[in-house]
This record gives sequence, C-alpha cells and structure tokens, in this order.
Amino acid sequence: MNGTGKGATLYKILTKQKALIAILVMLIGMLFSHSNFYSAFNLLQMLSSTSILLILAFGVTLTIIAGGCDLSIGGIMVVAGIVSIKLMNAGMPMGLAIFLAILFGTVVGFVNGFLAVHQKTEPFIITLGIGLLLTGVAQQLTNAHPVPAQNPSFMMIGNGYFHGVPNLVIIMLVLFALTYWLMRYTEFGRNLYAIGGDYEVARYSGIDVIRTKWLAFVISGTMAALAGVLLSSELNTGSAVYGETTALVVNCGVVVGGTSFAGGIGGIPQSALGLLVFGLLGNSMNMLNISSYFQIMLQGAVIVAIIWLDSYAQKRKREAV
Amino acid sequence: MTVQGTNSAIRVGASILRDYLVLVMIAALVALTALIEPKFLSPENLTNIMFQFGPLMMVALGTTFVIIGGFIDLSIAGTINLVAVVTISLIQPMGQVPALLTGLATGTVCGALNSVLILSSGALTQAEALFMTFGLSTVYSAIALLYSHGSTMHFWDITASKSIFQAIGSGSLGFLSWSFVIFLISLAALWVFQEMTAEGRAVRLTGGNKTAARLAGVRISRSIVVIYAIGGFMAALGAIVLFSRVTTASPVIGVGYETNAILAVVVGGTTLKGGKGSVLRTVMGVLLVVLMSNCLNLLGVSTYLQVVAEGAILTFAIWLDNRKHM
Amino acid sequence: MDSGGSEVILSIKDVCKSFPGVKALDKVSIDVKRAMVHGIVGENGAGKSTLMKILSGVYEKDSGTVVFDGQQIEHTTPQQSMQRGLAIIYQELNLVNTMSVGENVLLGRFREMKGMRGTHAKARELLDRIGSKIGTTRLVSELSVSEKQMVEIAKALSFESKLIIMDEPSSSLTAEEMCELVKIIQQLKDQGISIIYISHKLDEIFEFCDNVSVMRDGRVIDTKPKSEFTRNELIMQMVGREIENEYPERPQRVGEVLMEVRSINTRKLHDVSFSLHKGEILGFVGLVGAGRTEIVRALFGADRVRGHQVLIEGKPTPILNPRDAIGAGFGFIPEDRKLQGLVLPFSVESNISMASFRKFTRLGFLRKSIEKEIGTRQVKALSVKTPSTKVPVVNLSGGNQQKCIVGRWLEISPSILIMDEPTKGIDVGAKYEIYMLMKDIAERGGAIILISSELPEVLNMSNRVLTVFEGRITGEFDPKVTSADKIMSAALGFDGECS
Repeated sequence: MNGTGKGATLYKILTKQKALIAILVMLIGMLFSHSNFYSAFNLLQMLSSTSILLILAFGVTLTIIAGGCDLSIGGIMVVAGIVSIKLMNAGMPMGLAIFLAILFGTVVGFVNGFLAVHQKTEPFIITLGIGLLLTGVAQQLTNAHPVPAQNPSFMMIGNGYFHGVPNLVIIMLVLFALTYWLMRYTEFGRNLYAIGGDYEVARYSGIDVIRTKWLAFVISGTMAALAGVLLSSELNTGSAVYGETTALVVNCGVVVGGTSFAGGIGGIPQSALGLLVFGLLGNSMNMLNISSYFQIMLQGAVIVAIIWLDSYAQKRKREAV
Repeated sequence: MTVQGTNSAIRVGASILRDYLVLVMIAALVALTALIEPKFLSPENLTNIMFQFGPLMMVALGTTFVIIGGFIDLSIAGTINLVAVVTISLIQPMGQVPALLTGLATGTVCGALNSVLILSSGALTQAEALFMTFGLSTVYSAIALLYSHGSTMHFWDITASKSIFQAIGSGSLGFLSWSFVIFLISLAALWVFQEMTAEGRAVRLTGGNKTAARLAGVRISRSIVVIYAIGGFMAALGAIVLFSRVTTASPVIGVGYETNAILAVVVGGTTLKGGKGSVLRTVMGVLLVVLMSNCLNLLGVSTYLQVVAEGAILTFAIWLDNRKHM
Repeated sequence: MDSGGSEVILSIKDVCKSFPGVKALDKVSIDVKRAMVHGIVGENGAGKSTLMKILSGVYEKDSGTVVFDGQQIEHTTPQQSMQRGLAIIYQELNLVNTMSVGENVLLGRFREMKGMRGTHAKARELLDRIGSKIGTTRLVSELSVSEKQMVEIAKALSFESKLIIMDEPSSSLTAEEMCELVKIIQQLKDQGISIIYISHKLDEIFEFCDNVSVMRDGRVIDTKPKSEFTRNELIMQMVGREIENEYPERPQRVGEVLMEVRSINTRKLHDVSFSLHKGEILGFVGLVGAGRTEIVRALFGADRVRGHQVLIEGKPTPILNPRDAIGAGFGFIPEDRKLQGLVLPFSVESNISMASFRKFTRLGFLRKSIEKEIGTRQVKALSVKTPSTKVPVVNLSGGNQQKCIVGRWLEISPSILIMDEPTKGIDVGAKYEIYMLMKDIAERGGAIILISSELPEVLNMSNRVLTVFEGRITGEFDPKVTSADKIMSAALGFDGECS
C-alpha cells in the first residue's frame, strides 16, 4: 500500500491523462492500419463530425464543473433541430427560426437550473426526466418521421466550407475559445469552479451560488440547442432519433477528459480531448470496417471503463490513509 | 399553541395525502376515464390492462430494490434486449424449459455483473452507478444485436413446443392471466424478502446509510450484488413475459423500460434517496403509469404525447420526492 | 481597567440566544478593544461558538445589541460582516480544496482583482504581510493545516478586517506551527487589528492575550486583563464546580494483556504498536489530524490497511473489514454520529439491532419479536429517552442518539470497545451517563480505547494514555501520576518554547 515508486507515477499519469493516452494509442494504432485515416480529408471530416458533440460537451462541462450534470442535452438538441426546420418550412425567415430554436434551449436550461439548483433536486435524475419528456416532444412534433428541410441555404451552414475548413469546425473552434475564456478568465467561470469545489465555502464567500450555478444550466441548454440546429443543418433533416444516447455519451466524454463528477476540477480543453476520444474511436472503427453493432459495444465498453476509472481514482483518494 | 396545533394537523394531513397521492390519483384517473369512455371498464379492456402491465411490473419490482439500496440501474433495457433474443433463439435447439432457465440466468448474470463493476471501482454514488449501468446497457444491447444479427425473431418460426411461452403470453388460469399469476407470485416473494428476511433488512440499511451499515458489520457488498441480481432476474422475467405477449423478440425490444421502471418506482413513492420504499408502492406506481397510458389510448392521444406525459410525471415525481425528503 | 484608553471596536451587550430547550447565551456582554488580543475561554458547550456564529451572521440573536466599529449590527450575513471588517476563521477551515491559494484568498472577487494575474499579485501581497512564503499557485489540497490557516488569515486581511476571530486555531497545529501563529498574531496587532482568540488551552491564553473573558453555561463569568487573572482563578471560573464530580472513578480492575497491535503502517501512520489490557480504558491523546482516528479505523478494518498484526489473547487475528473486527470481539463508536454511526431515518430499534443480526435471524428470516426485545432491553438499560423503540432515531437528542449506538454494541458484549469522541456535542448529564457506562464495561472485563479532543475527559477516564503525534506514538503515560502539561507536550511533538 505504500503508494510510491514507478507504479504509482504511472497510475497517476494513466488516470489523469487517460484521454490523451487513449488518443495517442489510437493514432499510433491507425499508423499500421493501411487505411486512409491519415488523409487530411479524413482528419478534417472527423473533426467536423465530432464538432456537434464537442459543442454539446462545452456546455455540459460548465454544469459538471459546478458539481452537477446535464442529461437533457440530447432531448434539447433534437427538439431544437426539429423546431428550427419546422419553423422554416412554415415560412419563417431562417435567422428568426434559428433564434427561436436556440431560445427554446435557453428556456429548457432555465427550467433545469430551477429544478436542479434552486430546488436542489439531484441533477442527473431530474435532467434525465426532462430529457425523456423532450424525446416525447420530438416524436410528437415529427410523428417519429424525419422532417426534411426545404431551405437550401440552411443546409449550407452545416455542410459549407470557409477557406477549405468546414463551417462546423469553425463554429466549434469559436465556441471553444468562448467557453474557454469564460471558464478561465471571467469571474463567472472562476466562481463555477469554486461552487463545484465546495458549495458551502463558495456561499460563505459571498458568491451568489444559486444564480451562478443556474446560469451554467442555462448556458448548457442554449449550447445544446445550438448544436441541435447545426446537426439538423448538417443532415438537412430534423429527427427524433439522434438524441437517444447522445446525452450520456457527451457527459461521459467530459469525464474522460478529466472533469470529474465530484465537481470543481477539469476544463474546456480537457472536455475537448475527452470527446475527441469518442470521435476518433468512431472514425477509426469506420476506417477499419468494424461492424456497427460491434462499434456500439465498444462505445459502451469505453464508457464503462472510463466511469470505472473515475470512480476508482476517487476511491483511491478517499482511502489514502 | 392552538395555531401550532392546527398547523401540525395540516402538516400531518398533507403528508398523508402526499403518501397516498398515488392511490388518490389512480382513483381519480379510473373515475375520470370511466366517465369519459365507458369502454374503460369493459372486461376486454380490463383484461387488456392486465396483460399490458405485466412486463413493466416485473421490471419495476426488481428496480425497487436497487433504488431502496440507494443505487440506480439503467442496464435494464440492455438486459431485456439480450434475454429476449437469447431465450427465443434457444427454444428451438434446447427446448423451452432450458431456454427459459437460460434466459433467467442471463438476466441475473447481467445484473450481477453491474454490481461487480460498481463494487470493484468503489462507486458509491447514484450518479456513478447511473453512468456505469448505462454503459453496460449499451454493451448488453450490442451483444443482443451481434447475437441476433439485428433481426427480429418470431414465434411462428419455432416448430418446437413453445407452450409455456404461449401460456405466459395469452393463457389464463380461471379469470387470471398467467402473467398476472406470475406477477402475484413474484410480488409475494419479493415482499417476503423485503419485510421478513435479514438480507432485505441489510439492503434497507445499505440504502439508508452505507457507511454506518458497514461499520456496524452489515455486508453492504453482498447487498449491492443481491439488489442488482434481483434487478437483472426480474428484468429477465419481464423480457420473457414481454416477448411471449408480442410473440416476437427484437434486439431493441427493451428500449425505454429502464426509465419507465424508475418512473413507476418513484411515482409509487419509493425515494431515490435510498433506504425507504416498498414493492407494494411500486405496484401502485406501475398501475398509475399503465392506467394513464391506457386512458390516453382510449382518449385517442398519440403514443408520442404519452411519452411527454411520462417524462412530465417523472420530473414532477422526482421533484416531489426531493421536497418530501429534504 | 486597562489604562491604554484604546477605543472599543466591538461591543456586545446583553445578547441572548435560545435553542429549543436550551438557553445557549444568557445576557452576554463583552467589549473588545482596538489592536488587542481578546481571549475567550470556556469549556465545550459554554456558548463560545454560538456567540461567534451570531457575530458572523450565521445565527440571529434573540435580544441584545452588537456594535461593531461604531455601527449597530442587525440581521447580518456572513458576507456582510466580512465586508464590514469582521472575519472569522473557523476550526473547520473554509477553503475550496480544488482551487489555488491565490484564488482562495480572493474567492468571489475575480473581477475586482482584474483577472488571474491581479488575483495572484494581491494574494502574494497579503501573504507577504504575514510573512508567509506559500506559493499562490499551489493547490489548497496540498497544504498542511497550518498553511491553510495562513491562507485563511490572508483571506481575512483581504477584507481590510478590523477584527479577526480565531476559533480554536491551535487544535490541529504542531508546537512549531503554533509559534508561527503567535508571531503572526503579534504582527496583526501591530497593524492595528484586533483578535478574538477562542480556546480552552490556558497556556495560549496566558502567552499572548491582553484581555480575557471566561464563559460558562452561556454566560460571561468575568472579563479582565490577563495580568489580573491567576491560573487557578481562571480554571475555577471555567469549570465553576468541583471537578471531581464530573467524572466517575477510573475502572479499578486492570487485568492481563488482551490485545497486541504490531506495526500499523500507512501513508499517515508510522509503526504504530501498542497493547491493551483487560478491564482497561486506554486513552489516545493528540491533535486533530495527528492520526488517532486513523489508528482505530485501521484496527477496526474500516480503512484498507495491510501488513500489521493484531494478536488477541496471543492469537494472531487478521482483520480485513469491520465484519472481521466484530467477529473478533470489537465494537466501534465512530467519530461522526450522524454520518457514520446512525441510519437517521430508521427506528431506534433497528439502529440498536444493526450489529446483532445473528441474534434475531433464523435461516435468513428476521424474528421481529426478538428484535423488539433487543431494542427494548437496551433502551431500558441505558435509559434512552424515547417515546417508543419505533421512533426514527433522528428525532432523539444527541445524547440519546449516542446511547443507541452504545446499546448497539452492548448487545453483542464486545471485549474491545473503540470510542471515538463519544461525548462530542452531548450535554453534561448525558456525558456522565456515558462515562458510567464506560466504567461499567471495563469493570466487567471489557477493554475500551478512548479518543477525545477534550483532554480532561481522557485524563480522568483512562488508566493509561498514549500520545500520538504525526502518525507516531510518542509516549505512554499514567495519567494518575503524570501532569497534563507533560502529556500535552508529548502530543505536540516537543516541549520547547517558541524560539
């Protein structure tokens, strides 16, 4: 039990940098795969297809750092996507439709914050309930059939390029910078870290804990809605099916990066790395022609492994006597 | 003093009302639906309800202990998927009794595997259990997909005897359906476990305060294995009742059951905070959920709006549960 | 009185506060002067903490007035009093462990400090003011207790505090660290800041306080300059009654060796070995965090510890978890009654019966009539005040809750009972009853390991005392013949004066 020596150091690196290590392992593994993995096109494609997940993750990171989590983002995403398309198809100008769809996410985030922060309900279970509710809303809105968008310029948002770089990647990078700045260089961000680190201490230090944490949920909801709009633009359809596991995958991805459910630690770059693990995994498996069922299994196994490691690291910390 | 007296009387009254809110809601729902739609009380519809609530009831009864023990299980959907395809595929080669037993064993093993992973990682919070069992649900579902090659299997393809499953699916014993009889037996067994056995008490203590229970010598690890194994077994039973009724098994047959089971348990009044609750409450919860969906069906409300209603009720019930136990 | 003519910074007049059933503060009046160190002494439960919580705004006073810096204070909140210049450093330190030192010092004022760089610069400046060299970018979780206290002081200074209240700051400091603190208090005084120093250690009070108030049973007994107090007078006023009546006589029949513990080693404990005799109460004395709790937790199998040896009546007995320990004849009353001891929403009966499942189960089934007997028996034996054994244990008072835990173990008649802070937060009458129970257990041949932060309790109850310092056992004493000073200095690591 004397936690010294190389073993302990290696363990520390493994648990702290598991995302980075996983990415490196996959990148090295793919060197031997004789596929087109390393083509610039594929790498950009991968980044583009992971962008939506990353945007979701940036918002969720805020709630997890504050000591909560947000499992309603899948529901928000699909409903926002469907709403934007339906509004446009009904003749509303694109900008307004998108704005309203995003506003919808803000409102749901506000409700989440009310329940999870103001009313102090267990966030993971209450947002799961909201997510379920929204899935129903999405099915109702679409009658469980995909709704195609009729506006070609809408499609260009998610599929266009800007100087050779996919729009999605650019939007993702802008949001990355924005949330990074928010968490690193603003009082709001620092207060979120304090709240997640120790809620009572933050409260006694005069931080408006409820408003700050509440705002994290609002931002998470808003970004999820934005991600939903982008997704429906990329696919040019709004559908109720994409949201089912997204919420759990994104929350797990954030934890992979090193943001812990215990709250107070982690950050936007870590979350980006964590989600890249999933993006890279999916892309590599596609490149290697692994069957989709097997891909699902691997994804599940990765989630189990990550949560296991996160819990185990916390157990080690608890038991460090 | 008198003001205080009245106040506390009101508070007691309110807490009784809250405790039996489910019963009141069930009664109101039955009365309302019967008024709007006389067909509701017709024998056909009641039989229909009896068959309808079977699978969810089994699953929710099992989930009750997981929640009383202070944990949560999202792997139910995956377990149901896996058990359904495994069992149905084995009827032909193995015969129906071995298939049935293998199915039940598969579910129990899946449940136990959840607990082993939770225990080995030292995960003590509901949130950790939630994510881990979600991951496992994905794994179990994927195994079901790989095993069945993604295809749906039908009863009519099976030439071997499948009388047991047919009986479970549509047979009756007197005026009770076989699935209802299975429900009664399970309920009785689980109630005895909950109320009268040492292990049942250990589960409650574990849910009430893990640290204190452990320091008093209660085997909390065993309790955690037991609750998940029961959860898995009951999910398997639910899967069997389910595919027997619909006479087909697809590898996605169980989708949604995990959240519905949690919904039923919480609506019934078992608290997510652990330690308190009862399978009898869960029966109420399931009844309410099933009656509501039946009522909405009769009223011609789309199934999608029903999901919305379920989500809304779940959210409300969790919120209420939290207020009650603050 | 004091002739310095210095003005009063804080004036407390006739403050009363009642909790259901208890009058916590009864017409308390204290004046604290500018740039002075004002000591408040009193035993646990004298009302010191309640008074501090009223000052900081955690509690609302029932009546009386508080004037701070010329301003009458009503309905304050912790933040407001901090901004007014009244800071409190609590025993359980209020820092965010996952954040850096600098950010903790200026928590919630990131914008005011114009970002990260400003935050760290200001924190550096504040730490320099008290001569601390802690790096501002270090994580608080990596700091020692005394370093954390420095951070707290810097935090207090950041509000331009005029008065800093320190609540038992020495309870987890080593002697050396204590010297550091004394220096800092001197510096703060020189900068014109007043200090209220709460303690029950007389040495500290005599070392650097200017004025002293003695509190007892919610009242201020006396306030005088330190020089006018004699040591004995202070003790008399603190205790207020004959000390002999507070504790029963020690158990008399200490027998042969019952248990031997050999070399417990963990990251925090170093080669801990000791023995325990039949009929003995063995006391552990040490600072909070010195490793007392860790030793008994390791012994009981509550933490994962490997490689040590436990011999009971000469036989090696491996203990890997609490179940093994209970099987080997241990009972354990944990430090935190509510979090580790009780299942609060459950009935008195099931809390008592928790450890004796074997007695009331047959073939895995509960025999509820026997369980009820167990509950009733222990409730009667320990005179637990409860309307029935079916009442949720959360409804009972602290002392009665503790008795339920004692009853849990009495039911299985353990040969070794570990009691970690058994009288924490319970009233004087119930304390005496617990002491009598301890004596009773020991005289019937059981052995008790007692941990307590109240030194008089350990010294008066134990047959033998072991001092623990930084995870090591530093001495073994017979409290009947050794002075408390000598034992305390062994528990503080060394007996040197401040250099």
